[in-house]
Amino acid sequence: MLPLLRGLLTTLKSMAEKPTTVSYPEQKRPVSARFRGRHVLNRYENGLEKCIGCALCAAACPADAIFVEAAENTDEKRFSPGERYASTYEINMLRCIFCGFCEDACPTEAIVLEDNYELSFTDRKQAIYTKEMLLNPVPAQGKPTPQQVEPGVFTRSVPEMKDPTD
Amino acid sequence: MEKSEPKKFVVPIGPQHPALKEPGHFEFEVDGEIVTGATARFGYVHRGIEKGAETRSWIQAMYLLERVCGICSHVHATAFALGAEKLAKVTVPPRAQAIRVLVGELERLHSHMLWLGVAVHEAGFDTLFMYSWRDREIVMDLLEGLTGNRVNYSANVLGGVKIDVDDKQRDDILKGLEVLEQRAQYYLKVVTTDETFLGRTRGIGTMTYEQAELLGAVGPTGRASGVKRDVRVEAPYAAYPDFPVNLITDTRGDLEARFVVRIKELFEAIRIIREILDKMPTGEIQTKMPRRVPEGETISRVEAPRGELLYYIRSAGGDKPDRVKVRTPSLCNWGSVLTTAVGHKLADMPMILSGIDPCFSCNDRAAIIRRPDQPAQAWDWESLRLHGIEYYKR
Ligand code: SF4
Ligand code: SF4
Repeated sequence: MLPLLRGLLTTLKSMAEKPTTVSYPEQKRPVSARFRGRHVLNRYENGLEKCIGCALCAAACPADAIFVEAAENTDEKRFSPGERYASTYEINMLRCIFCGFCEDACPTEAIVLEDNYELSFTDRKQAIYTKEMLLNPVPAQGKPTPQQVEPGVFTRSVPEMKDPTD
Repeated sequence: MEKSEPKKFVVPIGPQHPALKEPGHFEFEVDGEIVTGATARFGYVHRGIEKGAETRSWIQAMYLLERVCGICSHVHATAFALGAEKLAKVTVPPRAQAIRVLVGELERLHSHMLWLGVAVHEAGFDTLFMYSWRDREIVMDLLEGLTGNRVNYSANVLGGVKIDVDDKQRDDILKGLEVLEQRAQYYLKVVTTDETFLGRTRGIGTMTYEQAELLGAVGPTGRASGVKRDVRVEAPYAAYPDFPVNLITDTRGDLEARFVVRIKELFEAIRIIREILDKMPTGEIQTKMPRRVPEGETISRVEAPRGELLYYIRSAGGDKPDRVKVRTPSLCNWGSVLTTAVGHKLADMPMILSGIDPCFSCNDRAAIIRRPDQPAQAWDWESLRLHGIEYYKR
């Protein structure tokens, strides 16, 4: 009799507990700050793209998931500081293993793995994310790219680092 | 009248089967309910990772090899990194080694709790399955907070680690461990006292010490039969010389002993994590690793949650490894399943199978299919690649 009552007590107790399940997708769990989800391409405050099309990320990628093609910037049509920008930037999310090595390789911190983990496709073509899909929206103070700028302002492609140990 | 030979009755299970969520094919010869012989066939999830590692740079190969197994991924990266660092004669800072061990032990917690859930599920004890997987979320969250992901943490780089532990994470981990320790006490009580459950585990799948030595059983499977073998104790690597591990063994060798050993290892892992967090060495977390690794070859051994993991790494002096050979613990333990299966009821097979904590995909390193009517096929890299491209066009 006693074990039975003890068993029932467990049941009774768990009725008062908060459920552990989260009713996804209505309710989402927050992810940690270090979470590595889908990539985004960042912009500077003024709206210029951080990516300079150097393809270091593509060379670093263990899964060969990134394809970058660079083109020349001009002061009339400027996408990013420096000489070149990425005219094509594609990541194949089916190949990507979300290791975050592209993030480490990028000299301008243009590519960052962010919080979005909702990646699903119905065919292989959809798994290729293009530059338009990856780029962050233009910040409030910035202008969309391509911008027309004063000549001789944006000559440095890699920004000067504030703290070299960072 | 001529009497015919009694035919053997074979029950095929798999490759897609109800017991385990991974593909493997088993054939059990039965006499009524009793199994009289067992064979296994693997190779369904061979992915060519070893070959793939040869075409990537050292650091890329590490990320790739981390994906050998989805449960114990960190140990693979650690084994490879330790081997590569040994070849390159790079000394990794003590803090990095301690963080490697920290992540490794958290991973052991998660792996053993996952196994506990799967194994009790095979026994039909779904309440404990739900409990242990619910509590496993705690350690998954800790790993996510520490490294960014729940699996495939990418915590290692060659020459150190990528992530540091700050005070907040330290407190989170300590808080999580508190709960986990209590829960582990509870699991230990359940698996050693619940009558119904003991009926499925006590005296089932018993492997004697002699058998275990003969079959080369590793990890908790071997330790449950009294084999005193643990790489962390025998040949301490990374930060284990500073944080010694107590060997946990049992002598009974049956399924119950394997439960007990693994759950006691939870306590041991919790103790080690606490000790590391308490005496975390200070300093750098990375050193510079050369891009080219000098010529040479090495063996790197680490203790994965399932047992001894062995890497053979050879460098020809280039920026890519020349050969990487992976021998995973699951592979060593299959012999014990096939031997201990004999004499038990067919219904005990799922329990005996999951008793070694099998991992099929980390097991499938090379598959050679020989058909009697065809010579063995040899493909070179280029033709295999073209075949792959053609295959996926369809
Ligand atoms: S996360 Fe890793 S696999 Fe994915 S694109 Fe970046 S480097 Fe390549
Ligand atoms: S994302 Fe970074 S590494 Fe990749 S092309 Fe752009 S600037 Fe270069």
